[in-house]
Amino acid sequence: MPRTQPLPGERANDPIVLALPKGRILKEVMPLLRHAGIEPEPAFADEESRQLQFATNRPNLSIIRVRSFDVATFVAFGAAQLGVAGNDVIMEFQYSELYAPLDLKVGRCRISVAESAELAGKDDPSRWSHVRVATKYPEITRRHFAARGVQAECIKLNGALELAPKLGLCRRIVDLVSTGRTLKENGLVEVEKIADVTSRLIVNRAAMKTRPAEINGWVAKFGAAVEAYARAA
Amino acid sequence: MTEAETTALLPAGLRDILPPDAAFAADLVQRLRACFAGYGYDWVDPPLVEFEDTLFDGAGAAMTNETFRLMDPVSQRMMGLRTDITVQVARIATTRLANAPRPLRLAYAGDVLRVKGKQLRPERQFTQIGAELIGSESEAADVEAVTMAIDGLTRLGVAKLSVDLTVPALVPQVLAALEAPARAAAAVRAALDRKDAAGVDVAAAPLGQGATVFGLLLRAAGTAESALDKLARIPLPDAARREADRLGAVARALMAALPGTAFTIDPVESRGLEYHTGVSFTIFRAGVRGEIGLGGRYLAGRAGAARAQEPGTGFTLYLDPILRALPEPKHGERIYVPFGTPADAAAGLRENGHRTVAGLAPEANGDAPAEARRLGCTHLWHDGRIVPVAGTGP
Repeated sequence: MPRTQPLPGERANDPIVLALPKGRILKEVMPLLRHAGIEPEPAFADEESRQLQFATNRPNLSIIRVRSFDVATFVAFGAAQLGVAGNDVIMEFQYSELYAPLDLKVGRCRISVAESAELAGKDDPSRWSHVRVATKYPEITRRHFAARGVQAECIKLNGALELAPKLGLCRRIVDLVSTGRTLKENGLVEVEKIADVTSRLIVNRAAMKTRPAEINGWVAKFGAAVEAYARAA
Repeated sequence: MTEAETTALLPAGLRDILPPDAAFAADLVQRLRACFAGYGYDWVDPPLVEFEDTLFDGAGAAMTNETFRLMDPVSQRMMGLRTDITVQVARIATTRLANAPRPLRLAYAGDVLRVKGKQLRPERQFTQIGAELIGSESEAADVEAVTMAIDGLTRLGVAKLSVDLTVPALVPQVLAALEAPARAAAAVRAALDRKDAAGVDVAAAPLGQGATVFGLLLRAAGTAESALDKLARIPLPDAARREADRLGAVARALMAALPGTAFTIDPVESRGLEYHTGVSFTIFRAGVRGEIGLGGRYLAGRAGAARAQEPGTGFTLYLDPILRALPEPKHGERIYVPFGTPADAAAGLRENGHRTVAGLAPEANGDAPAEARRLGCTHLWHDGRIVPVAGTGP
């Protein structure tokens, strides 16, 4: 419906907002940001800070720090023009308004199906017609099982998935696995890998189309940073 | 009364459009219609519902999953609610108007219904306004479609438009020339769709030396000036080269014709252009999410039918993003005509183009200005004159 606020695109030199995920990935992304020449204001490093939006050394670039799933949403809706999100999140939402032009090669892990070690010993996956799965990724899970003709009933949880099989909520989970230690500690084994996951630079489609020079400039800077970082490592 | 009746909940993606937005939207459609008529486009109005087999014919096949279906109790055949009017206009052009002189210019507006809204555009019912130019293969036809779309939007006051040009057939033609196996082709297209340059290089590697063009095509995307330059230097198979040259010629003509519009070229774009073949375009407005409209070349008519398919081009604009790109409408001037005013006074006002609101009962305490204000009128008919009402006004 008709807008009530001024459109963000109305001023020249519009600010660009970069959405970053909180937590583990953030630490791995920061060196890339520095390579790309972005230095956030000091409050950004302060984990106690309640600030949500941060200025940088670039006058028209600011950073927001949100939950990893929300990065994709902010960028897809054009509230942020750039973001960093794992391809797990990108696959889950499949937003048509997102491009993922660059693999940042950080945050490496995989999204997998796991079940209790005891069940894995006697289970025959080819006989499944219906499974109940606890997951943060109901869409990926449903698609993955549907592709092999299995109906997946997904129980959406937001964390501590490993508890679900233990306490009898369901027998299988779909979750991110990096070292596999958490699974092991909870008596689970990885039975199937759905996809490899790394963090990607994501871009809002309309921003890419209406401001190609600026956006492609940032993609190139991040690309150079990924290469420089890979060489240094 | 049930709860549903009291809360008037509508199904997801459907909504009531209220004053003053509804009148404003109708006015926009009317102005676009006048604009298209000015270019010699005749109005057509296809039905809401058709038999499935005509609706899904040819270009319509892309939308089968998005269609609400119902059984026609009379003919016992399945019918579908239209999801896109272009397909219907193409059907009209190639059947009932098959003998009309070419090129045929038709314009339309109407609502379409889709099974699923997208997350970003949850509307399941929305208004399309568009025009189709059927039976011309010329570059001038491609230019006319874009020019008219931009002219129409500009006349509505939608400024700062940006047009992204592409040829959806380009990538499939290169893949065909390389005789790429289906699996490898899908991997290349997926990486192109993400705009993942490194991923494209990896996916294209098994296809040999010729496949390096995919990376070059992707990296060519950007402002039209730079993209045309890069595109001209990419070694392409013959069929793809013809498409690319065509795109270049159309882009240059458009840049000359529409200096106020930003043009970008993305040779590998395919989103939203499922049934398009030749030069296609998507219209964006900086700061409005998603696209305002899209269009391009397609083939009208049934593949394999006795009558050969005809080249067509055209575009569709979406009313809801246009409304988002424009300032909020205001209620216009309205004159409160107090109770007891002779009928011919109000009639005289309407005759002169004013809008009148008649008092149907004596005003409380005889306070006509208060009643005018309560009803949202901007003016009052008082002592044979139009007086503004304090505290209102557009």
